[in-house]
Amino acid sequence: MFSSLLKCRRVFLPKHSQLCSYSVVSKEIYDISSDTATKPTDAMFDVMKQASKEDDVFGMDSTTNSLESHVAKMLGHESALFCASGSMTNQLGLRVSLKQPPHSVLADARSHINLYECGGLAYHSQAPLTAVMPRGAHLTVHDIERHVIKDDLCGAMTKVIAVENTLNGTIMDVNELQSISKYAKEHGYLLHMDGARLWEASAAKNIPLSAYGSLCDTVSVCVSKGVGAPIGSLLVSDNETIRKARHLRKLMGGGWRQSGGLAAVADYCLENVLPTMKDTQKRTQRLWEGLEELGMKALLPVETNMIFIDTRGIIPMKLWANHLLEYGNIKIDASDDRASRIVLHYQITDNVVDLMLDITRKLIHDAGTKPDDGPTPVDASHIYPSASPII
Amino acid sequence: MMMLRTATVSARRCFTSSASRPLYIHNNLQNDQSHHLPNGDPDAKWYDLRSDTVTAPTDEMFEVMKNATRNDSVFEEDASVHELERHVAELCGHEASLFCASGTMTNQLGLRVHLTQPPHSVVCDSRSHVHLWEAGGIAFHSRASVSPVIARNGTHVTASEIEGNLIERDLHTAPTRVVSLENTLSGMVLPIKEIQAISDMARDRGLAMHLDGARLWNAHVASGVPMHDYGKCFDSMSLCLSKGVGAPIGSILVGNRDFIDRARHFRKLFGGGWRQAGSIAAAAKFCIDTVVPTMAETHALTRSLADQLVDMGIDLQCPSHTNMVLIDTARAGVSVQDDLIPALLRKNIKIGGMGSKSRIVLHHQIDQECVDAMIQVFRDVVSQHNTQRFQQEEKPVAVAL
Repeated sequence: MFSSLLKCRRVFLPKHSQLCSYSVVSKEIYDISSDTATKPTDAMFDVMKQASKEDDVFGMDSTTNSLESHVAKMLGHESALFCASGSMTNQLGLRVSLKQPPHSVLADARSHINLYECGGLAYHSQAPLTAVMPRGAHLTVHDIERHVIKDDLCGAMTKVIAVENTLNGTIMDVNELQSISKYAKEHGYLLHMDGARLWEASAAKNIPLSAYGSLCDTVSVCVSKGVGAPIGSLLVSDNETIRKARHLRKLMGGGWRQSGGLAAVADYCLENVLPTMKDTQKRTQRLWEGLEELGMKALLPVETNMIFIDTRGIIPMKLWANHLLEYGNIKIDASDDRASRIVLHYQITDNVVDLMLDITRKLIHDAGTKPDDGPTPVDASHIYPSASPII
Repeated sequence: MMMLRTATVSARRCFTSSASRPLYIHNNLQNDQSHHLPNGDPDAKWYDLRSDTVTAPTDEMFEVMKNATRNDSVFEEDASVHELERHVAELCGHEASLFCASGTMTNQLGLRVHLTQPPHSVVCDSRSHVHLWEAGGIAFHSRASVSPVIARNGTHVTASEIEGNLIERDLHTAPTRVVSLENTLSGMVLPIKEIQAISDMARDRGLAMHLDGARLWNAHVASGVPMHDYGKCFDSMSLCLSKGVGAPIGSILVGNRDFIDRARHFRKLFGGGWRQAGSIAAAAKFCIDTVVPTMAETHALTRSLADQLVDMGIDLQCPSHTNMVLIDTARAGVSVQDDLIPALLRKNIKIGGMGSKSRIVLHHQIDQECVDAMIQVFRDVVSQHNTQRFQQEEKPVAVAL
């Protein structure tokens, strides 16, 4: 029996978790609601100390420059720009390609750029977004062809195609990306990749990052998610584009001074955490298989480090979430009562997965299977991030 | 009553922007952060006086950073970030604050929240950072125009100058919505009495008051005015932590709760939503506690430097009130660019500058030893040129200030 180590006084919701949040005194919470939860380790602060301490606004910090050059190379590009967040690198990546309205971007309807960047595209680039719901799991040339805007009288012509890889934890096939890249070049579109979790795709498929990266004009890769650094994302492209992006970064207020410490940690994480990604993915599979055995369903294929778990008919979501938190200090996103996005990362060990499965198994056994909520299927479009069912 | 005021104010509009005289900024544009290869002693200590942004994190700061909390501040879950934000808000007599990556971000966020719908405009000193050094941010982020005001006394704008540049609502205009002040500006202190007068005038007209207080800490230390007295005069304040305060990264926006909530949303839009920022916040708090108290000493060193330079016949572009000395060496017959910068580099001292002008900025990592060494170099260079000039009977270049 698991004794309750930390009682959560309120129904768990991500924003109001101050009462349950990490404190030095109480036991650690295993946050599997997102891989942004990766916390910096003591070793990382030691690494920070050794970094250079020059001013990055003037491009004079050697540790930062070295990280940028390293990541650029990994992705098959000339240059990179280290920024505070993925929203910033995505918006910069699009902004540099969007020179003058009327212009627009074509992207997957479920993409982060479309849904979670506070309307950044319209704001930063004065561009509308053509949101395409792909027929399959990811955008294809066929989808794009049907939705590009070529009207130069009344329309905002498509200038950039934006793809996301991984999207909702699922991998965009490199061959399809090649076709899209070819199509884009033939028709004069620029190609941006939101590769916040591109590392996951590369690890899962054993395909080098550059194989994906070199197909795109601009790529945004996050280091604060599965890669484990506390802060940061990089925009990758050619020298001229990055030079322009640096200027725009200042405009967005992203010109930070002694960023060497943060860059050193990012580098450290690429070296030490990134190689563990495949293990995390295997662990995710194991967790999924365990939950599947208990009768739960997944809304999307489990291909990397995410599981979109549907608990209907098995156990009410909030009950499950409360139990996991109370008996295992495991935090899941319970904002929707039908499905949840579970995201593993390197700080979620095998023990945590075992614990989670044990608690769940016991809970289901004790509570008994609940009858189905009703005949209607789950309307997944409300779930964060919207994991719409494949049509 | 409104109509009458419109007529009066319009008649007094000064249109001062066209005659704006470039200050140190334009002179230092290319060379302020020079990329000269240092040719001094590589093992000896380096002193960097090009800006107070160069303040480097210390070993002690990294220990503090290690002990900070490590939660996600996008979801407002990090205690170290809360601690910093609470502390600064309280210090300034405001309800809340928002910790961001840069002063440009906090300034632009502050203005953005006030500027709700065009047509609208901002009135500010013509030399303001928000107007000149934020990549056109006001136009970009807020779709607002700027009315730049020339400070006729050369030090700070006055209430009557600001009033004279206000734009009223009219079919043709982008009416003034925000008064944005900067303190310190080029190291010069804006007197509290003037700020209060401007604030009263602005609030009387329903205008918002924003402060670019990147170096407000210096003004506070130099003038003795408590931070919350400044706080009373403004609806929003942007305070830098990465300059004289000494933290590696960061700036903080202060305002009331609703204002900061809105600013937080905009911050995400700007791409400023950073994750485990606790360590950076902890470093900033540590610096506020340990470095700000040393500012008086830095100011004293600056005063000493300024006095000694003036004694040598070097002119000041503007009064030196806090941690900056803006010099013009033309009358002394030497070039900053060709004579002083290389000579100082040989002594492991970096300054910026172009032609005969330079902005020398002191901070807590500049000590007496550095100032003494600088004075020696200046003396040597100036006396060398005096000798040459005596020999060549060269006419000194006249300087209009």
